[in-house]
Amino acid sequence: MNTPAPGASSAHAAALTAEYAAIWAYGPIGVRLTGPAQEAARDAEATHRRRRDDLVLHLTDTGDSLPADQAGYALPFPVTDEQSALRLAVDVEERTAGFWQAAVAATSGAERERALAALVDCAVRATRWRATAGITPLTTPFPGRTA
Amino acid sequence: MVLTWAVMGKTTQRDPLPDGRMRHSRRKALRVGALLTLGAAVPSLTGCDPFNEEPPPPDPLAPMVGEALALAAAYRDAATTHPALAGRLTPITEAHAAHAAELARITKVALPSATPTASTPADPEATLTGLREHERTAGESATRACLAAPAERAALLASIAAARASHLEALQ
Repeated sequence: MNTPAPGASSAHAAALTAEYAAIWAYGPIGVRLTGPAQEAARDAEATHRRRRDDLVLHLTDTGDSLPADQAGYALPFPVTDEQSALRLAVDVEERTAGFWQAAVAATSGAERERALAALVDCAVRATRWRATAGITPLTTPFPGRTA
Repeated sequence: MVLTWAVMGKTTQRDPLPDGRMRHSRRKALRVGALLTLGAAVPSLTGCDPFNEEPPPPDPLAPMVGEALALAAAYRDAATTHPALAGRLTPITEAHAAHAAELARITKVALPSATPTASTPADPEATLTGLREHERTAGESATRACLAAPAERAALLASIAAARASHLEALQ
């Protein structure tokens, strides 16, 4: 059993709730997309599922309680077409990035490396979704930082 | 540790070891210890000499200020040389300048007034290749810095590493 740094378990639990919500959101996103964009949504969803599974294992291993997944999550705006689906995908990745940035500060060593990799992945996917949606600029100056 | 020594000091000064050899007196050991401690303290006492003051060690993140400014300069120059790329490059220039300002704030390094110079190739493709290479190296440096940093700096460095990775994606 590992001895996590103080704050690490709550940061991981918070990241897990963000991953649950991201996986859920890619459902309505995916149905509005076609072709390569739908493929990218499937790939993103698989990545979020992988991270969710890693977090569940990790929190179980450290003896922390697991936050419960919910049957549904409130979307920040309705997803009615391709454009709103792409905007939600940007939003999902940018929100999730914030939780992983917090986990970076709460961890060290291999755990920090994993949190940083997740933050980088979310930031890169957000940029790809911005490019697909035609949103400029393609990047934000401080990924993960909540305005 | 100190308590153990005090209690043990009450025993006889010389006790024979099981093999019959005599042990050094504990008082002597304490005296030697005290002398060693004094010896170790001497360099730090000289360090307090106001006429011989050592500068504080440089902040390990100080070089990252210059690195971020050099990136900003490279993008700025590239956008000026190739106006067609300006739309893509200008937000990235601003991000690097914002990173430099944040890094200067946390390291208490003054931002230099002179901007570093950059040279941009005449070919736009070669320009983008050069920027990607620069961005990749800087991303690795931010990643290393983040993994080595104390908690209060790690979040900013992580964000900078993620920004650099997203710039690389935006240049594809």
